[in-house]
Order: sequence, then structure tokens, then C-alpha cells
Amino acid sequence: MAEEKKQSIDQATIEMIEKAAKDGALTVFQRAETTRACPIGAEGSCCSICAMGPCRVMSPRGKEETAEDRRRRVGVCGATPETISARMFLRKIAAGTASHGDHGRTMAKFFLAVAKGEAPGYSIKDEQKLLQLALDLGVAIGERRNEEIAIDIAKLLLAEFGKQEGELLFLKRAPLKRQQLWRELGVAPRGIDIEVAEAMHRTHMGTDQEYHDLLDFGVKVALADGWGGSMIATEIQDVIFGTPAPLLSQINLGVLKEDEVNVIIHGHEPQLAEMMAVAAKDPELIKYAKAKGAKGINLAGMCCTANEMLMRHGVPIAGNFLQQELAVVTGAVEAMVVDVQCIMQGLVDTANCYHTKIITTDPRAKIQGATHMEFEEHHALESAKRILKLAIDNFVNRGKNVRIPKQKTDMIAGFSHETINYLMGGMFRASYRPLNDNIINGRIRGVAGVVGCNNPRTPHDAGNMDMVKELIKNDVLVLQTGCMAMASGKAGLMVPEAAAKYAGAGLASVCEAVGIPPVLHMGACIDNTRILIAATAMVKDGGLGDDISDLPVAGAAPEWMSEKALAIGQYFVGSGVFTVFGVNWPTSGNKEVSDYLFKEFEEKLGGMWAFEPDPIKAAHLMIAHIDKKRKALGIDKARERVLYDMAMRRDLGKVEA
Amino acid sequence: MEYKVEKKSAPGRKEVEVLGATFEAGIPEGYEAGRWRQKLDSRKEKLKYLETGERYWYGEEWYGSEKRKTPA
Repeated sequence: MAEEKKQSIDQATIEMIEKAAKDGALTVFQRAETTRACPIGAEGSCCSICAMGPCRVMSPRGKEETAEDRRRRVGVCGATPETISARMFLRKIAAGTASHGDHGRTMAKFFLAVAKGEAPGYSIKDEQKLLQLALDLGVAIGERRNEEIAIDIAKLLLAEFGKQEGELLFLKRAPLKRQQLWRELGVAPRGIDIEVAEAMHRTHMGTDQEYHDLLDFGVKVALADGWGGSMIATEIQDVIFGTPAPLLSQINLGVLKEDEVNVIIHGHEPQLAEMMAVAAKDPELIKYAKAKGAKGINLAGMCCTANEMLMRHGVPIAGNFLQQELAVVTGAVEAMVVDVQCIMQGLVDTANCYHTKIITTDPRAKIQGATHMEFEEHHALESAKRILKLAIDNFVNRGKNVRIPKQKTDMIAGFSHETINYLMGGMFRASYRPLNDNIINGRIRGVAGVVGCNNPRTPHDAGNMDMVKELIKNDVLVLQTGCMAMASGKAGLMVPEAAAKYAGAGLASVCEAVGIPPVLHMGACIDNTRILIAATAMVKDGGLGDDISDLPVAGAAPEWMSEKALAIGQYFVGSGVFTVFGVNWPTSGNKEVSDYLFKEFEEKLGGMWAFEPDPIKAAHLMIAHIDKKRKALGIDKARERVLYDMAMRRDLGKVEA
Repeated sequence: MEYKVEKKSAPGRKEVEVLGATFEAGIPEGYEAGRWRQKLDSRKEKLKYLETGERYWYGEEWYGSEKRKTPA
């Protein structure tokens, strides 16, 4: 039991790890114990890109390296440890950018189909966001139908992926000073795919072998994610499914129901999940479920699809990344319906111990041993109903070995940039002014984005909870996405009451006045772009400098594991944000490369990386950075407010003259 | 959104029309709770909101702290 507590701080998770062990089911927690992380790969000292290797170029431990030793510590081709480390780092960023980009591309193609009326069941739900995109992209509005405008927007956004020259269109949303810096440094992305392809080329054997150059190019690739692929996905999803607004729901394995058909939707792209939400309310299917002995159909989310469904429909979340197999372990899940990204192959083996059907739905992501039922957006409702029917048919196969943990927590989600702007100023003067004012007057010390995945190499949810509590205790408003948002939801940090309980007096007073939690749920991992836009709005509102790098803000991913997380981190750094990662660091085997990312990047970009596995220490690094920025802005000390009378004003005029 | 106009007495004048409260009475419940964007009905209203509410990007005159800057 003591060992299991180290694996997670979440009681429902601990309970299910215990049940899995009794049932003989294998999970990620057990595999993490038996499969040791490769120490050479973990530190970025292994090059496996050609068949002359793989070459291991670790620095000697416990003894000093002579110049001759150092000269000889290279790959077979002569690649230095710096080149190898930077090359592997860039490849990870490219993979993350490709993943978000492919999501964005799917959405752009889907958007075009919706606009052309070729995807029955879907429509444009948010006209205002459509108009916003039209203004951004210079698409004529006039009296044109929404669908006509949408076709033009979809074509423009789709072209961003294959664009060969110029700049990504959404770069214009960034602060002017930042845009200028990107151009000066040559890191303004031309298109999305071209930067990923060039990264793969540069890192091919015998191409780019200058580590600064490789790492600088990593900025360009990552910006093609943050201000490209991810932003396109977020914006289109808002247009089709609606821009999120606050709503109340629940989270954790306790949302599963013993007497209903439980279906979990897991992955990242929301178009199938949206239709599953519609199909689950179909009276015929509910009747069918009742005929099979169930009281109804219970839809719950997992991972980032869960975030999408939560913030737009209030569909409850069963858990975050590390809980996917544990949902199956309850014995109460009839089907887990998956699409792309963060879906463990181990699910199939776990499901073999129970009755759960693992259903893959995307042609890009099949799993051996799973049932493949391809989702067709042109026949979306039929696809969703077919999947649900299979799940209902499976209800009768549910065994007696069912245990659903009791834990479930209330949480509020749906804080898009648009909603935050509205909440702070209302319909007549939506504004970031109250936030900036409260940062300037010191009630709010700064803003932190705490995002990313779970990782079994660190206790599940613990890094997030320790970090977030430390930040809000110190009056730092926290914005969250992805699986870290879920961790805070489970910990009860995403309700307004949490402000009085956990936040410092200044932050709590602002939260109470506005009526928001101290930790805001902003969506799925692609929605980190909402944080970029929020930061840009803070800059543009004024009083906190001219660039994102001037703001008292910081970012973190305390439990990261995926290449997407690295791409996100790099685009935040490239946008001027100090970003600290936990767990491990992929260039830790090379001091020169790490120093470039941790120190020299700041001089170039205003933002830089840091690595700190202790979440409290990492929070203190973030707070120290926020304080540094406050000092640079001259808002680190409280100032006496003086009300000028006319005589004083006249005197002021004399001085100026 | 339909705006309510209230008539109130004012010093030196008999009666003036002022804009009334714009909040919605009661505690919002259910699926629609918090759905503020649906309050904007027409395209004109939505564009106007973008110009004012999202003025950082779509305002014609006011551009926050960047107003004084030469466009990059």
C-alpha cells in the first residue's frame, strides 16, 4: 500500500492499481516499475539516426575528461555530443509539432466539409468566432452566408500547412514587438509542414551539425505549432462546436455508473466525440440499452477529448492520461472509443482481463487486438450510433468483478480567452484591464500556465498539485490545460471556493470579486494557444510592457511525457515565456546544449527553459522569474497614490516644459 | 439582447430615460448557464462586440500599449 501511494496521490487511482494487481491486469504503473528508463536515451546522449550506430556519447561520470577524451567522445560519423543532443531534441519538437499540425489539418479539412454541407449533423455553432477569423484572415464578410465565409477561411487555413514562403497568418495576432523579433531572428515560420520536413532533413545523417543552429530552428518549428497547427485546431473547433464558456461538471473514476452502459471517449480530436454526445441521447438507443438491462448510457471522457467534451457539453471526465487503463480495471466500462494521441497500446491487454471493447476509430491510429470501427464524418451520426450499439451489446458481458471508486469532484471548466475577457469587463467593455490593474497593484503577483501530461516516473498528479498550490498560495493566478487541468480538477482547485481555501489573500480577493476559481481550466493540449492569446491580450491592454517576455508570467509542465509537450514548451519559450519542466530533461547529458536552452535563449528570445523535478522548487523558480519581471516593470513595490490637485498639475506642466 | 430603458427623475428636469439593469434575473441553471455569447443576436452586434470587446485585435482606433508603436 505504501508503495502504491508513491505512484499516485489520487485515492481512486490507488484503489484501482490495487484492484489491477489482484485481477492480474497489467497497467502503466506496473510497467514503469519493471521497465527501467534507458539512462542514455533519457539524457539525449544516444544517436540512432543511421545504421553506423546507434552511438552512445555519454559524458564520463565521476572523473574528469581530458581534451583528448573529449575529442574522441563522438559518434561514428564524428557528430559531437552537442550535435547529437540538439538533433534528438529538435526531432522531438518536430514530432510534437507534426502531431498538433495533423490535428489542425484534420480540423481544417473537416471545417471545409462542414461549410460545404458535406458533413451532415455538423454546423457552424459560433458565428462570432467565424467572424473573428474572417477579420483575422481578411475574408470578406458583408451579407455573405456563414457557409460562404467558412469555405474561404477553411481554404486559407488549409493552405497554411503546405505554404512554402511568407509567414503563418496567425503570427499577426502576436504582440508587434514579438513579431519583429521573430523576423529579426529568422524564426517566423513560413508554413507548418515545411518546418517539420526541414527539421527532419536537418537532423538526417550528415546535414545540420551546429547545435545552436539546430536549437534555433527548433523555435521556428515549435512556433509553427503554437501559432500554426494548434491554433488552427482550437479556432476551428470553436467555430464548429462553440467557444467554451464556464460550466460545472465532475471528474474522476467515480463518474462511471454501475447500472448504466459506460462508454469512454479517449484521445484528442472532438468530431466523433461530439456526435457520440448526440447519439447517447437518442431515445431509440436508450431504449435499446434498457432492453439489455441497463438504466441508460453514460458517456465519460478521458485525456484531451475529455477536456473538449467537458468544456462544451459538461460531459464528466473519468480521468487523465495515467488513469486510462484503470477505467477498464473498474470492470464497468463497456467500450473505450479512441482516436489519436496518448492512447496506450497496453489498453488492449488490460481490456482482455475484463469485458471492455477497445474501439479504434481513426485510420491513422489502429491498435493490434482492438476492434476497428472507422469514423466517417460524412455519416457521423450513423458511425456514432454503430459504436454505441456495440457498447450496449457488450453490457450483458459485464462480469461480477466490478468496483467503481467513489471519488468524483466538482469542477468548473470553459475559460476560453474570450470568456475571461468577457468576465472581467462584461458585454459593454470586455477587457483584460482588471487583470493588469490587479497585477500592477500587486493583488495578483503574476500568471502561470501549468500544463502537460502525467508520467509514471513521478507520482501521478503530485507534481501538479504541489506546484499549483504553491503558486496560488503566492498570489499567482494559474491557467491550465490538458491532463494537468484534470489533476487540479480532481484536487478540488477548480471551483470558486478554492480561492478562499488555498489562494493568497490578494488573489483570493480578485477571484471572489470576479467569481472565478484561482485555477482556470482553458481546455485541451492544443488549447495552450488560448494561453498565448491571453498573454498577448495582457500585453496589448497595456501597463505590463510591450512583449510577452515583459509580462510577470511563467509556464510549467511538472509531469510531462510526450513530444507534444516539448513542442508546446519550445513555442512558449519562443514566445518569450520562462518555462520549467519536471520529471527529466532530454538534453541533461550535455551541458553546452542545456546552457544554451536554459541561459542563452533568454538573451535571444526573452524566454528560456529550466529543468527542476521538485515541483515546489520549480514553483519557486517561476515565482522568482515573475518577481524579476515585476521589478523590471517597476511594480515590485507598493507606491503611494497621490491625487493631484490643479496646482500640482500646473507644476507638473512647468517641469515638462 | 433587448435593453431595458427606465424612466427616472433628474434634477432640473422632469424625467429622463436611462439604460436599466442588464443582468438576467435568477440563478442560471442547466446546460445554457454561462453561455454568454448567445446573448449577441445579430451579425452587426457580433461585429460590434469584436470591435470593442476584442479591440486589442479588431478595434479601429485603440490598440492598447501598442497604439504608439510603428507597426512591425
